[in-house]
Amino acid sequence: MFPRTPAAAAFRSLERVLVRRRLLGVDLRLRLELLALAGLLGGFLFWQARIPLDGLLRMRGEGAVAAAVLATLLAMAALGGLIAGSRHAVRLRRGPPGPPWLALPLPPELLGRHLAFDSSAPALALVVPAAGVLLGAAGLAPAWWLAGCALAFAVSLAAAVGLGCAIAFRTAAAAVPSRPALHPLTRVLATAARRARSARLPAPRWRGGPVWLTLWRKDLLLSWRPTPARQRALPPIVLAPLAALVWWLPLEIPVARLLAFALALLAAATFAEWLIALAGCDPFAVLRTLPVGVGAVWGARMASAAAGVALLLAGQAAGARALDPQPHALFLVWTGAATLAIATLGANYGVTTYPHHDQAQRLLGLSLGVAMAASIMIPLLGWVLLLTAVLHSLRRLPRWTALEAS
Amino acid sequence: MLKVEELSRRYDSLLALDRVSLEVRPGEILGLLGANGAGKSTLLRTAAGLQPPDAGRIEVAGADVWREPIEAKRRLGYAPEEPTFYEEISAAEYLAFLAAIRGLEPAAAAARAHELFRSLGLVDRVDEPVHRFSHGMRKKLSFAAALLHHPPVLLCDEAIEGFDAAAALAAKQVLRERAADGCAVLFSSHVTETIERLCDRVVILHRGRVARTLARADWGGRDSGLSPLEQEFLGILAAAAPPAPA
Repeated sequence: MFPRTPAAAAFRSLERVLVRRRLLGVDLRLRLELLALAGLLGGFLFWQARIPLDGLLRMRGEGAVAAAVLATLLAMAALGGLIAGSRHAVRLRRGPPGPPWLALPLPPELLGRHLAFDSSAPALALVVPAAGVLLGAAGLAPAWWLAGCALAFAVSLAAAVGLGCAIAFRTAAAAVPSRPALHPLTRVLATAARRARSARLPAPRWRGGPVWLTLWRKDLLLSWRPTPARQRALPPIVLAPLAALVWWLPLEIPVARLLAFALALLAAATFAEWLIALAGCDPFAVLRTLPVGVGAVWGARMASAAAGVALLLAGQAAGARALDPQPHALFLVWTGAATLAIATLGANYGVTTYPHHDQAQRLLGLSLGVAMAASIMIPLLGWVLLLTAVLHSLRRLPRWTALEAS
Repeated sequence: MLKVEELSRRYDSLLALDRVSLEVRPGEILGLLGANGAGKSTLLRTAAGLQPPDAGRIEVAGADVWREPIEAKRRLGYAPEEPTFYEEISAAEYLAFLAAIRGLEPAAAAARAHELFRSLGLVDRVDEPVHRFSHGMRKKLSFAAALLHHPPVLLCDEAIEGFDAAAALAAKQVLRERAADGCAVLFSSHVTETIERLCDRVVILHRGRVARTLARADWGGRDSGLSPLEQEFLGILAAAAPPAPA
């Protein structure tokens, strides 16, 4: 524990503000998507844990169930320590976020504690699978034993995170030149700042090819680098495999089909958001002064849309093998058409509202929301609305050449 | 080469350009002078295809910017006053992207980019992401991007303001060479001294209208020499420069 100095109080206040701002900084829709993802992951682990734990109860009793849960939770805590430690190591190497820390009159120990705290946040995500496992054991072992397991998980996660960050710091300090007059953290941060200043990106490949392909390659590059498009790329990358994994859950086929379809649609919607975010990464004054037509821009986005839908369908085709050939083909056609329509809508809105991608995100949410509500009220009406929106947005594509940045 | 005919543009109640006509001939550097808000940037942004005019037309090497935008933009280089980029890619990656979009031969484009980076003093920073660049470096990159494809028409909107002295001189030299090759350059600046030294003719804009057009004879012959201060500064740079690699 650190003494209650003004600096320590300032850090505690800063940490509270950072946590709040980061939560609020995530777009509402993205927050809901992340919540849905957490729910799905927790649910998946619940099912995966419940059946083996039930078998364990029958064979070896309640004590074995509690021991298995405790061992799983301790393994998760260790994983949390590994995540936090790896992240801390990377940050100490590249330079931690925030102000130029070494310019501030701070005790290195206090600064080190704050930097470790900042690196540890992703480890908290392990609470979700841990909750899934604990719920999976509910009723199979006494509640107070499970409460004890939860407490042990919390304590061991905190300890593992602290240990992971401490190891990362020791490793980083050992890797920089020794200067007895300087605190190890000062040496580590000074070296990181030097590295950050001199860091280079790989030399580009100078190559030709059609304009749409150049734009598509640029889109992929921007999704790889730390841009808003990269943030938007994460949900579909997680959701599409989840939609395929549903088929391996012990569910009735109609339930699995419904869940896989719903998850595929959700993946397509987040994929469409990524396509819009890509449009938001294009600086207006750069793209507009280049000899680029709307066909090339739209072609690049549709290439991504087609590739994404193909991958999604490949996952579904592999997962839905339990279906008979005819229902299997029908399911794939149905899912493929819906996801392609949603992705196309995202690509179209990104082009037709350029450079106002925030409007495009709202328009996409509105269109999909209305289509979903209509589909619930009257079967197939959602399809009509979705295809109408796609056709309408296609007709507006030529406006791209006359759009203004104001 | 660059023809602007009866160009008008309004922002709500403000008439930013009022029936402006001008022509930049091949091999000519035409200066655009005017106070803040005179309409210089509006004229250049409209000519670059960033905002449509309310009336009038702009022709770049025979192609109408708003009727044949792709053809016109192939023949156009534009260095804006406040350049924007893909911030997370490097300067070299940015020019490689532009070269591919413009259909330039890859090896020739890489060589041209290196030459531009070297003359503008950016060669050591080309593999850094653009978001790390200072204002002056961003303007240099924008200037290099405008020149990469040897455009027959070049629009420079206060393009070299913010350059260090050596890069400014190099940029002026590049512009003169481009003009000597037949490129039509429309060069906007607040700095009358730069315009005096560089331009063949000057159009003075005032409240969105062409107030006056001056020929070189109206302000004296071209002075491509260096001022004593520039000579001193460049002497210091030359003395401090590392020897060129063998």
